[in-house]
Amino acid sequence: MHPNFDDSLQHNRRLFFGQTGLRFGAVAASMIAAEAGGIRIGSSCFADSPSEPARVHPALAGLPHFPPKAKSIIYLHMNGGPSQIDTWDYKPGLQEYYDKDLPPSIQGGQRLSTMTSGQTRFPVAPSKFKFEQKGNCGTWTNMDLFPHLSEVVDDIALVRSVFTNAINHDPACTYVMTGSEIPGKASIGSWLAYGLGSESNDLPAFVVFTPKFPEDSNGQALFSRMWSSGFLATRFNGVALRGSGDPVLYLPNPEGVSRADRRAMLDSLQALNGRTQAEFGDPETATRIAQYEMAFRMQSSVPELTEIASESAETLQMYGPNVNDPGSFAHSALLARRLVERGVRVVQLLHRGWDQHGDLPRQIGNQCKQTDQPIAALIKDLKQRGLLDSTLVVWGGEFGRTVYSQGGLSRDNYGRDHHPRNFCMWMAGGGIRGGITYGATDDFSYNIVENPVNVNDMNATILHCLGIDHERFNYKFQGLDQRLTGVEPQRVITELLA
Amino acid sequence: MAWNEFSEVTNGGLSRRTRGIAVACFSLVMGVVAGNAVAQHDEVVFNRDVRPILADKCFACHGFDEKKRESGLRLDTFEGATAALSGKQAIVPGNPSDSELWIRIQSRDDSDRMPPPTTHKDLNPHEIEILTRWIEQGARYQKHWSFEALGAVATPNSPPAGRNSIDAFVSARLQKEGWELSPEASKPILIRRVAFTLTGLPPTLSEVEEFLTDDSPNAYERMVDRYLRSSHYGEEMARHWLDVARYADTHGLHLDNERQMWAYRDWVVRSFNRNQLYDQFTIEQLAGDLLPNPTPDQWIATGFNRCNVTTSEGGSIDAEFYYRYAVDRTSTMSSTWMGLTAGCAVCHDHKFDPISTKEFYSLYAFYNASADPAMDGNALLTNPVFKLEAEADQKRLAEFDNAIGLAERELDASASKAEYRDPATMEPRSAPQLLESVWLDDEFPPGGKVTSGPGQGTLFVSKEQNEPVFSGIKSLKRTDGGLSQDVWQEATAPLVIPENATLFAYVFLDPANPPKSIMLQFHKGDWLHRAVWGDYEAIPWGQVNTTQRVSMGTLPKPGEWVRLEFPASTVGLSGGDSITGFATTQFGGTVHWDKVGVSGILDPARDPKRSFLAWWRSVSGKDVPGLSTPLHAIAKGGPIDSVDAQQRAALLRHYLIRICVDTQPQFATALSALEKLRAERNAYYEAIPSTFIYKDAEKPRESFVMLRGQYNQPGEKVEAGTPSILPPIQGSESGRPLNRLDLARWLVSPNHPLTARVAVNRFWQQMFGTGLVKTSADFGTQGELPSHPELLDWLALHFQSSGWDVKDLLRTMLTSATFRQSSHVTSNMLELDPENRLLARGPRLRLDAEQLRDNALFVSGLIDLSIGGKGVKPYQPSNVWEPVGFVGSNTRFYQPDRGSALYRRSLYTFFKRTAPPPYMVNFDAPNREQPCTRRERSNTPLQALQLLNDVQHVEAARALAQRMILEGGSTSDERINWLFHTILSRKAESSEVVLLNHQLALHTARFVENLEDAKRLVHLGESKPSENMPPQELAAYTLIASTVLNMDETLCRN
Repeated sequence: MHPNFDDSLQHNRRLFFGQTGLRFGAVAASMIAAEAGGIRIGSSCFADSPSEPARVHPALAGLPHFPPKAKSIIYLHMNGGPSQIDTWDYKPGLQEYYDKDLPPSIQGGQRLSTMTSGQTRFPVAPSKFKFEQKGNCGTWTNMDLFPHLSEVVDDIALVRSVFTNAINHDPACTYVMTGSEIPGKASIGSWLAYGLGSESNDLPAFVVFTPKFPEDSNGQALFSRMWSSGFLATRFNGVALRGSGDPVLYLPNPEGVSRADRRAMLDSLQALNGRTQAEFGDPETATRIAQYEMAFRMQSSVPELTEIASESAETLQMYGPNVNDPGSFAHSALLARRLVERGVRVVQLLHRGWDQHGDLPRQIGNQCKQTDQPIAALIKDLKQRGLLDSTLVVWGGEFGRTVYSQGGLSRDNYGRDHHPRNFCMWMAGGGIRGGITYGATDDFSYNIVENPVNVNDMNATILHCLGIDHERFNYKFQGLDQRLTGVEPQRVITELLA
Repeated sequence: MAWNEFSEVTNGGLSRRTRGIAVACFSLVMGVVAGNAVAQHDEVVFNRDVRPILADKCFACHGFDEKKRESGLRLDTFEGATAALSGKQAIVPGNPSDSELWIRIQSRDDSDRMPPPTTHKDLNPHEIEILTRWIEQGARYQKHWSFEALGAVATPNSPPAGRNSIDAFVSARLQKEGWELSPEASKPILIRRVAFTLTGLPPTLSEVEEFLTDDSPNAYERMVDRYLRSSHYGEEMARHWLDVARYADTHGLHLDNERQMWAYRDWVVRSFNRNQLYDQFTIEQLAGDLLPNPTPDQWIATGFNRCNVTTSEGGSIDAEFYYRYAVDRTSTMSSTWMGLTAGCAVCHDHKFDPISTKEFYSLYAFYNASADPAMDGNALLTNPVFKLEAEADQKRLAEFDNAIGLAERELDASASKAEYRDPATMEPRSAPQLLESVWLDDEFPPGGKVTSGPGQGTLFVSKEQNEPVFSGIKSLKRTDGGLSQDVWQEATAPLVIPENATLFAYVFLDPANPPKSIMLQFHKGDWLHRAVWGDYEAIPWGQVNTTQRVSMGTLPKPGEWVRLEFPASTVGLSGGDSITGFATTQFGGTVHWDKVGVSGILDPARDPKRSFLAWWRSVSGKDVPGLSTPLHAIAKGGPIDSVDAQQRAALLRHYLIRICVDTQPQFATALSALEKLRAERNAYYEAIPSTFIYKDAEKPRESFVMLRGQYNQPGEKVEAGTPSILPPIQGSESGRPLNRLDLARWLVSPNHPLTARVAVNRFWQQMFGTGLVKTSADFGTQGELPSHPELLDWLALHFQSSGWDVKDLLRTMLTSATFRQSSHVTSNMLELDPENRLLARGPRLRLDAEQLRDNALFVSGLIDLSIGGKGVKPYQPSNVWEPVGFVGSNTRFYQPDRGSALYRRSLYTFFKRTAPPPYMVNFDAPNREQPCTRRERSNTPLQALQLLNDVQHVEAARALAQRMILEGGSTSDERINWLFHTILSRKAESSEVVLLNHQLALHTARFVENLEDAKRLVHLGESKPSENMPPQELAAYTLIASTVLNMDETLCRN
């Protein structure tokens, strides 16, 4: 007997294509789940209420591992390596060391990048900026650069002792975003989209912005691998929402084609595909029918998303003067909130221009002018809508910068080279204990003296906030259980958790 | 609790559970038919049933890796598993209850149970059952299947007529389930399936016609042979291979600039088209450079080893990247030919496969000798490269050389007649005088290197272009948004600063776009002499308030030529200093420079620009380009009396023509003609493309085991060698160290167990969609077992004995009844074998990214089918490269091509690694950073949006609609039928015709009402619609064509 000629198990077909009026979305959902390694949708901590339609992007079976604090994450990546000394690692004692050589005992014969390894002197450059203790927590805050963020420090858990292994941009960015310096691994956003899916049926699970940055700053390259799915299926790639042009590639109908034309065409196409489905019996055909419908829905859901005129004047004002400029950091930050509101799992903003080898004070001022107010507004905005409790906000770069000046030094002007041995990141929102400062560096912000945190410890902590045990979150590839946090032991920084 | 009680309880629980499992298991087993099928009373087979469990759950702590081995117990060998350890034995063959392993895996005590609960690797009852029965049956071990030698395999029974050996193996396996092969698919489906499989293109109407009307018994075989002979066969085969080879058109890291090695891509196409045997294909790519007198093709083939990503990021450490490149090349070789994921052994002994770290670094030693540098220089061509000189090129170059020789001789002849007296030898000596030397006017001084950027290159503009010029015929112009400059440096004839010198330059600032600041910089041993006008902070170079950065005040007035001048001492330069470089620098704006130089009191006898002897002394010990070897030696040696008079005269001629300010003007015209000729020759030569090749360095680097995979932590020294689990490698007789050629020959030696298996499996995957080993990149113990082990071995042996004949292998696969089956699947079949691993139906696969685009271009008639050449840039939405590109990168801005380049096959699309073509990424193409042996086949809404809305597809639909109207007949029924024939090689069903006619009527009515919409739609894309075709009709048909192009049946090979 050939199995193809035995159709007695008709109930399976009905199960898939449903007499119960199951929407195509649900069919697609079960198929996507089935495709993801033969695993069916299991019970989930994000259980859908019976009235809701089934999710198009379901979580993997068994995920999250435990009830999560945060449902979504907004990851703010300041690309280029922001100076920790000029942002969050306050070192008042450095003023006395102005233009004195960094003591060799501090430098400790560590590796230097070849951009400064040839310098004959390593003169200490104290930060020129004014710091104050802010909030109830008293976190030392740079009042020149972060006048707005200073208002929300009570929500922020600051980590001053993050370190990485990479001393150059490309490997360091790859490391911070994929947990490995070697290209080809999955990015953190892809991991989360893969594991947790999305609560939105009309938007992608993982969205990326690459907002504009000041023209005169040193803009390092971004790489699509920073939001690439690596070895995971490419449907877990981040979808880059674009500031100019169509927000999603190929979103609008061609010129001259109306929505009604498209509907007529899809009605016909879906009927033709129904015939194909009957002829070959391939479940992929049903998925394709569902995806064409999803595409049709996205053609209205995405423009609705980017239509910010519906926001109140107060809200728009809060994000600052650039909020109406598509592609600006402020505009992207507001869209990030709107995405999270609509159930998108991961939003990443990658802001370039933080690689300040020279002329650092002026350049970092411009960078902060673009980002300080929108980030503070994002936190306040999430909070006033009750979303901050379920949204994790992360801020950081790929490494820190040296305490000694690269090139010329004056009280008001200096540059700094790459410094992987310590830098600052902070987190706020879902699962995070606000108003704390964790980890410490020596008087020169050159070595960690308390509570070192590897980039992958941060990643483990992020996963934890989203209800994932990083050691149990694996994907088999090249014979190994790949994980975001790599093979070395990493730990969740429980001290940061609420 | 006594041991016995515990055991009873457990056993009771287990047997109850097993009964449940046996039922649930049927579907589970069928669900993963890859070989886990163990019915209740069958013999447990170690490789099939047990090793996967041990590998996944136990080997991490009790495996091959000595350093991670817990309690000294290893379970990957019989000896290890049965050794006595503190009075206990992990496995007592035949006796589970005496086996410590068996006791521990069932323990309910968390501190006792294995695997430890903290590892989250709990065994399920089914797995415990298998281990139990395996121990009962004697705990027999086997070597991992893929390391076993290939032995002759008998076909299960001789295949019936119309079937071949493949079918015999597949049928035998199906019979075990009581199944059989599906009937053959229809002819239209078959020809489309074969055409896409072998050429990546759909069949033409005439090819379909020829096949459908061929009633001979071997019509199918003849059709397959026609496609095997097609020149597009090589293109389709290359596409798959280039995923493995990680080929792309940029370096991949940091700036991600363009690199030129498309000749390698074209070589792959050629190689498949001429059916190069796979062993030779292997040898030439891995070691073509080591063959005796390599042919150009053999050089080009070595590009395989250069396809890895490289960097030139400032600050990078060379040793780190030498190390990384060698690791990448080793891992790529290992996974490509052996299906071994050796990369894991970079850091630690491979936990699962028997490759030690030391063995990995022995393989690495073959590659840790490369001639290419650690930093790629962000250059189009990073050495070593191979010039693709054709015969015509050589002829043209010889013509240039003749003309240059003639011009040189003429110039020399007139220089011999020139009047010149060296002021240094004049009596009486002339007194120092006020002299002006111009360094920059119309061009930079000869004998130095000109660089510029970021942004535009060096640009001289003339009055004819309506540009401001102060002196001569040209001025130097630069426009930029930020810090940018032109630099002249590495001077061979240094510029001497006279006494009481004044430096000067003429500058013109564009009033519409003034800079923030401008700067002049001078190089005396170092760039530490700078004068800046305007914003002092904008250009942050040099220690402030020192001669390294001197503020000269505000910017000069824009809109007119202003002479800037200042004493040389202001920037720390004094009489007698030799300047070997200067730069004109700006921050933002548009700036013209002209006539840059120095004036001051100078003794002509000491001025290299006026005295031959002074010049000769100044170049002493330095390299002087543009001189023949003997003259160069003399120039570098400095003036001595013993120099041959003739050579001295030749050197003097060089000086008079090129250096001396008093005589140089009289030769200027002839010299510039000569230089122009040289420039033309260079331009011609440069335009001949080159390609990256692989070579060993003169001096090989020593190789060491790198501890924990750290480039700066060498451990034990290693020599090139191969893993001991595999057959020994044969070296040369002379006893020289092993090299890559030995390695390549070892891979394709008949007794290598992996190479043929891995290759046939990948080809099988290409034909059938999934390999017999699904994990085509992993033949190690973590990979999946083959679904048809005997068939895999039979194919491997067949491949070897055919002499590694790829076309023969593919013909065998494609002419099997297995390949020709209908792909129809019932829900029953889906439930039992969702992935079609048993092959009871034909393959049905979504087309790959390139095939989808090529299909649309092909059926529309837009396609340009020319083969090979530089990568092309088809339509791409704006802002794909720009938001991620490095500011100074030459692949920051995407500039699409025009004309037929828009319609080239996708194989030739320029591939930028950090922002690959979106139409490919959207359909699961890899980013070519690492080898990819298997693409996913995802199904997403973004794909639907692309196929419906991408201008490439809309334009193709319109061109296809035009063909419908012109070629498809006069009625809509005929045209719809023609459309189905063209796209799907079949006629339209009547229900389909009714549906599309209805849709057509809707669209036509709409476009008649909205003629403007119709016009906009039919004018999308660069190609033009036919002028005498009513737009409303064409627009309506465009949407019909687009509909059928978007059918699931169209997007798949069925």
